[in-house]
Amino acid sequence: MSAKIDFSKISFLVVDGDKISAQVVFDTLAYLGATHVQRVPNPQDAFQILRSQQIDVIVTEWRLRGMDGLEFLDSLRNSISSPNRFVPVIMLTAHSEEQYVTKARDLGITEFLAKPFNAKALYSRLVSVITRPRRFINTDTYFGPDRRRRQVSFDGPDRRDA
Amino acid sequence: MTDKKKKNVQIIPAQTELKRRTVNYAKGMDINLSPEQLMELEQVVQRSTDNFVRQIGSDLADTRQLVIDAVKDNGKSAIALQGCVDLAYSVKALGGTFQYPLMTQIAKSLETFILDRSTATKKQLLVMQLHIDALYVILASRVTGFGTTVEQATIAALAKLAERYGDPRA
Repeated sequence: MSAKIDFSKISFLVVDGDKISAQVVFDTLAYLGATHVQRVPNPQDAFQILRSQQIDVIVTEWRLRGMDGLEFLDSLRNSISSPNRFVPVIMLTAHSEEQYVTKARDLGITEFLAKPFNAKALYSRLVSVITRPRRFINTDTYFGPDRRRRQVSFDGPDRRDA
Repeated sequence: MTDKKKKNVQIIPAQTELKRRTVNYAKGMDINLSPEQLMELEQVVQRSTDNFVRQIGSDLADTRQLVIDAVKDNGKSAIALQGCVDLAYSVKALGGTFQYPLMTQIAKSLETFILDRSTATKKQLLVMQLHIDALYVILASRVTGFGTTVEQATIAALAKLAERYGDPRA
């Protein structure tokens, strides 16, 4: 018997000003069995929901009107008024060049998905945030999921060792 | 490494509540989807293809008009550029998802051409218009996939034009 994910027990928040893109994510989540999916076009509306409801996973576009997805992520992870600093965030964007990925990673993104995407890629990111939660690292300059995703043996001293 | 630096790293254990609440062996979607399930999921995404064609078709017409207006009155080039920025991003983001990777390629070319511009000359506006026209032809003719050598030659020609008329960039 294979392990399953009960998507009906997860509340999603989709932040995307592009109606088609938001619809694709919504349809995909609905097909997977999600019943608690809310869509908002901008981070301001997202924060309103986050302050009043429990949200388990956020799927956000980078390019948004007003505050962009990166500023939204930064506020989520680093603002003292953040409603949930630990919430998993999947960022969808057509800005897929390396510098964008690095920037998002260094602000605490959980998963990054380059557009154009297919259903398989979106599903794999969802599975990852749900089934493989990562520890969080808190330093003077970073708060977010552990960026060391691969455990590679290393002979030198570990900077994190106390 | 100083002691102060060492103390500044806090490692917080992974939050496993979501996993415990949702992962089970009785109800839900298999974590490892079968090829058939993946195909069904892909079909769900493709359901929005008609909306994509309608929406982008409308955006192309609107943006084309903005560019034509700017060709006639260069004072409107900033508005045309903003329209092209929005259009290029949308098409680049979604074209490939709906089996129009050629549109994504052309949108990338358009995006590169207008990057960091706040104004455009008449010739540059015409290059933008050619990109929009090429996108429109692909959408109207429903050229899915990467097309034939003709389409690829068109993309190469657009890239050459973009390079030739790239300057001045302001």
